[in-house]
Amino acid sequence: VSARPLVVIPAFNEIDCIADVIAEVRGAGYDCVVVNDASTDDTAVVAARLGVPVIDLPIQLGVGGALRAGFRYAVNHGYDRVVQVDADGQHPAEHIDALLRAVDELDADLVIGSRFAEGGDYSMSNTRRAAVGLLRRVAARSGAQVTDPTSGFRVIRAPLLTAFAVDFPHHYLGDTFEALLVAARRDYRVREIPLTMRPRMGGTPSADALALVKAMIRALTITFTGCSFDVPPRPPT
Amino acid sequence: MSTPMKQAIVLAVGGLVICLVILRLGRRRLLTTRYTLGWLGLGAFVGLAAIALPFVSSVGTFAGMTPTAVLLVFSSLVLLAISVQLSISVSLLQERLRTTAEAHALLARRVADMEQQAR
Repeated sequence: VSARPLVVIPAFNEIDCIADVIAEVRGAGYDCVVVNDASTDDTAVVAARLGVPVIDLPIQLGVGGALRAGFRYAVNHGYDRVVQVDADGQHPAEHIDALLRAVDELDADLVIGSRFAEGGDYSMSNTRRAAVGLLRRVAARSGAQVTDPTSGFRVIRAPLLTAFAVDFPHHYLGDTFEALLVAARRDYRVREIPLTMRPRMGGTPSADALALVKAMIRALTITFTGCSFDVPPRPPT
Repeated sequence: MSTPMKQAIVLAVGGLVICLVILRLGRRRLLTTRYTLGWLGLGAFVGLAAIALPFVSSVGTFAGMTPTAVLLVFSSLVLLAISVQLSISVSLLQERLRTTAEAHALLARRVADMEQQAR
């Protein structure tokens, strides 16, 4: 098994920032793969020109779908941990090292980079902050004591990575909130560290206010009904 | 002509029309055999309901409903069941499509890597 982690960058119409994000990740010394979620611009062309492997999805699967393809690529190529990094430039590659160190130091299966934990710093609208606060309380009920359940800047380690490569939600908030909820319920160790993040470097957010409301309803329904994807229980160590 | 007789005619004609439309769709391959058979069964059921109208009337008397209301409730339940079944089918297809798209993309990546190595 490779000791090196793989950085998975799901991208949809991120032509403005993808080159900078790739340069930053490679500059930090990490292998990366770009999963192009059927972009209608030249995101995939730009990424391929920079010499990184591009998984070109023929139809749009959503961020979770793109991530699962990235997880499968990682597992197939012998990587035992994956770092999720957004293609919009919000996640500084300089923090990847801290996330990876936290996996080992905290003996965690999933480490989240938190914008709100002590030391974290991030500005967002009051509505979004309230939504995150609600999800935080819900996550805590399932055993995931994290301050930023919707952060997409995270590291996943095998065997959770292998489980996520088999089944992973594709809808908005599924890849973040639902994934950590399910992991915590199945006794995987979910931890977080404070990280600073940036505003997006370009492009437009793929999720608007309506998408957030729909995702919130879905996330809460999943929480209280148990209608969710599932992973095998954490194997005893 | 009495009202129950008119209702029976409407049901029989409705059932026949459903069957004819479904047969046409099936022959044009717009419906798979599975769904053609399912909908034909429904059409036949609607047609046969014309014969069962006296029974419907007795159910209506028992439930305190008009025969029309009984038929409406019953047909709504059948349509609900069909919708649920179709939702299950669509959900399964969605997951299969997703898996196929991922497999396609990963294979394309693998082929590209192999081509690059062969050069």
